Amino acid sequence: MTALLEARGLMKRFGGVWALRDVDLRQEATETLGMIGPNGSGKTTFINAVTGHLALDAGDVLLDGERVSGRPTHRIAQAGMVRTYQAVRVYGRFPVDENLRIASLPHYERVGRRQPLEGVEELLARLGLADKRQAPAGSLTLFEQRRLELAMRLLARPKLLMLDEPVAGLNPGEIREMIAVLKELRRTCALFVIEHTMKVIMELADRVIVLVSGEKIADGAPAAILKDDNVIRQYLGSVRAFRP
Amino acid sequence: MTDRLRVPRVAGVVLLVALALALPVAVADRRFYAFIVGITFLHVLWTAGMNLLSGFTGLIPLMYAGLAGIGAYVTVNLVMSAGVSFWLAMPLGAVAAAVVGVVLGLPALRLRGFYFTLSSLVIQSALTLLFVYFPRFTQGDTGISQIPAPTVTLPGLGTAALTGVWFEETLAVAAMLAVLVVWRVTRSRWGAYLVAIREDDVLTEALGIDVTRFRVIAFFISSLLAGMGGAFYAHYVAFVSPRSFDVLTSLNIWLMVAFGGRGTIAGPIVGAVILAPIPYLLQDLYLYKDIIYGVLIVLVTVFLPAGVWGSLLPRLRARLGAAAPARVPGKEFV
Amino acid sequence: MDALLLIGLSVVTTGLITGAIFALVAAGVTIVYGAIWLPNAANGQFFMLGGLLVWSLVTGWGMSPLLAAALVVAASVPFALVLEKGLIRYFYDVPDRNIVYLVVTLGLAQIFAGIFSSTYGRWTDNYSLPAAWPGIVMIGPFPFPKTRLLVLSIALGLLAGLFVFLRLHRVGRALRAVFQNREAAALRGVNVRGIYRFAFVLGTLVVFAGGTLFAMAYSFDLTAAWSMAIVAFAIMIVGGPGSVLGSVVIGLVFGFTQAIVSVFANPTIATFSYLVAMLVILLVKPSGLFTR
Repeated sequence: MTALLEARGLMKRFGGVWALRDVDLRQEATETLGMIGPNGSGKTTFINAVTGHLALDAGDVLLDGERVSGRPTHRIAQAGMVRTYQAVRVYGRFPVDENLRIASLPHYERVGRRQPLEGVEELLARLGLADKRQAPAGSLTLFEQRRLELAMRLLARPKLLMLDEPVAGLNPGEIREMIAVLKELRRTCALFVIEHTMKVIMELADRVIVLVSGEKIADGAPAAILKDDNVIRQYLGSVRAFRP
Repeated sequence: MTDRLRVPRVAGVVLLVALALALPVAVADRRFYAFIVGITFLHVLWTAGMNLLSGFTGLIPLMYAGLAGIGAYVTVNLVMSAGVSFWLAMPLGAVAAAVVGVVLGLPALRLRGFYFTLSSLVIQSALTLLFVYFPRFTQGDTGISQIPAPTVTLPGLGTAALTGVWFEETLAVAAMLAVLVVWRVTRSRWGAYLVAIREDDVLTEALGIDVTRFRVIAFFISSLLAGMGGAFYAHYVAFVSPRSFDVLTSLNIWLMVAFGGRGTIAGPIVGAVILAPIPYLLQDLYLYKDIIYGVLIVLVTVFLPAGVWGSLLPRLRARLGAAAPARVPGKEFV
Repeated sequence: MDALLLIGLSVVTTGLITGAIFALVAAGVTIVYGAIWLPNAANGQFFMLGGLLVWSLVTGWGMSPLLAAALVVAASVPFALVLEKGLIRYFYDVPDRNIVYLVVTLGLAQIFAGIFSSTYGRWTDNYSLPAAWPGIVMIGPFPFPKTRLLVLSIALGLLAGLFVFLRLHRVGRALRAVFQNREAAALRGVNVRGIYRFAFVLGTLVVFAGGTLFAMAYSFDLTAAWSMAIVAFAIMIVGGPGSVLGSVVIGLVFGFTQAIVSVFANPTIATFSYLVAMLVILLVKPSGLFTR
């Protein structure tokens, strides 16, 4: 069976530093993948590279068996791989409604219908934004903006949603809520999550990839990863040292 | 669009169209004022094109006047050397400007904000140099004078030169068409994309929208209008020189857009109507035109980034009890 | 053979003088851009203002060119301070201020251009000064005006001084720290706003100095202002915004290009080549050749 996402031998160098070094990876449509690794280990570079924000030096990216590497970002997004950013990105000066309208336009253009905001009501209710539709997006709290961001991405009808640190900047209570939202989202599309917060990865991911200095050093179930000597030595050890 | 705004808006547009068409007739006996009216229509056309880029995509195209120059010189050469009819030459000139605009602009479109504007400044300077140093087509700094008025052939009435009030009426129609085109584009799905790109191009692309394509389309239409304005300008004023299309011209058209209100439809019209006649009305002050415009550029940037109309619009809406605008006009410069 | 040598010498000397003045103006522009993100499109007009004021003082008041130049350069300090206080500082905290500044300074340039053409432009269209140091030196068998030698030494001296200042002096190093990373500089206790103001004054002063030197070496007209503005931008972009070294190297390269091209063809071709070079760098490596 073809994987939803398949990366083969991804290579990316910045100057003399390897940001991605021969990274292979498979994600099935039914699973949620997590990616962890120290700062600067190449996690965001990985998302940038597979979503076309960044040109790869070598390697192929396949989405649903179709080669997407080398395509521009918007084509990859149209093919079904959509991403979020570490720093939340919404049209801050536009009302929530307008944000959603813009996000839904490309899909409706493709299917040739004229009702861009169809289904938005229910989506907003799901994400707890129903009473914020007229508010400028920039006036929302960070947590609300993060949820709006998710709503906008969902309107692009992704098969695979790449989340770059979806709980960055949220407080513990909000993180709990966000995990619940993301858990529910798994029923709509596949998720690929980069996180520093282990709790998020442990609760969401079916499988975890560990990236250190651009190299994949482990790939397995969350529980197994936590016990992997190599991972503990190269990554988790340092995390524990900072957060006893 | 709320119903409460629809009636005043339609009434306003009808009134404006009637006024624009009546004005040349009203001042027809006083050629000097009629000429100012004609020049103002030309600037309405130009600002509409500039607004599509500067207001709706956030790019400041300082090569705009250079593109107008290409439209003008191509048209004038076709008419005066090749004997082509103005009505064929003008569209060709406009297309030439649009093609040059897209070809020169395409690489620059990869750049953002400041770097785009800077490269557009460079392109403008290069175009000015070309105009000066290709006298075969431009007669250099001497300029081309005695450019003939376009001729019109009416069935049964014979051929006549398009002069006087008829030329002003033609310019009025051209200006209205330009505004109409820009209005249609910006109210369409494209328009939503353009505004989205202006606000955040990275996000817009990530949502699956082809940023480059829409920028190029905007660029093409905007350059087309620039070139069309240039062709009309040349045949209306009957004289062009590289000075007619230098960086200050670009800057002044930008000023009119910014002064009125970027990213609104009416704003640039307001800007053109208020500012374009100044150098002609204050003839004794003609030397100080640059100073006045320069001071206005600084003042608008410091005190009125949304422009006259752009600042008025929200208040107007509030007074009429309309809902908040879906699009917030005039993000500063980016 | 002699004719060829003469041409060669003229290329070298013209190239050096033009290049040094280009380098000076571009250094002034790049200092301001590197620190404040202010691409001063009015730099050409400042340059022109320097030259015109010297011309007025010399031809109107009979002052000696050197004294006049010194006075004008000194006067650029209060001029820059007033401008900073009245206009420039309002945009220090705007995130995309480089584009705001470009527009504002284009406005300023237009104001100055209007002032010059409605005042100086009415009197004459060509300005030249009497020699600051009359006479001729012989370089081998070839004569060379002493004034140009003087201008060249002052320009090179100023550039050297600028380098030493930026490397060694406390304020100069703070300025370089702001070039590299303003947040880090602020954290280390550098008064960033103070440095902004200082950079604007220093940059303006250097541009004025370039203008006065140019006026001493060559006759000029009002169109030189726009050309200088574009050339200075071109040098800054090619050399790398914020890199004084880049400005000096590229300034000299452009100066020599100008000198060489002028021998064979219209100097406008040189200007055109700067524009193309700038466009290419903008597209290929917007950070310029001399910055990482």
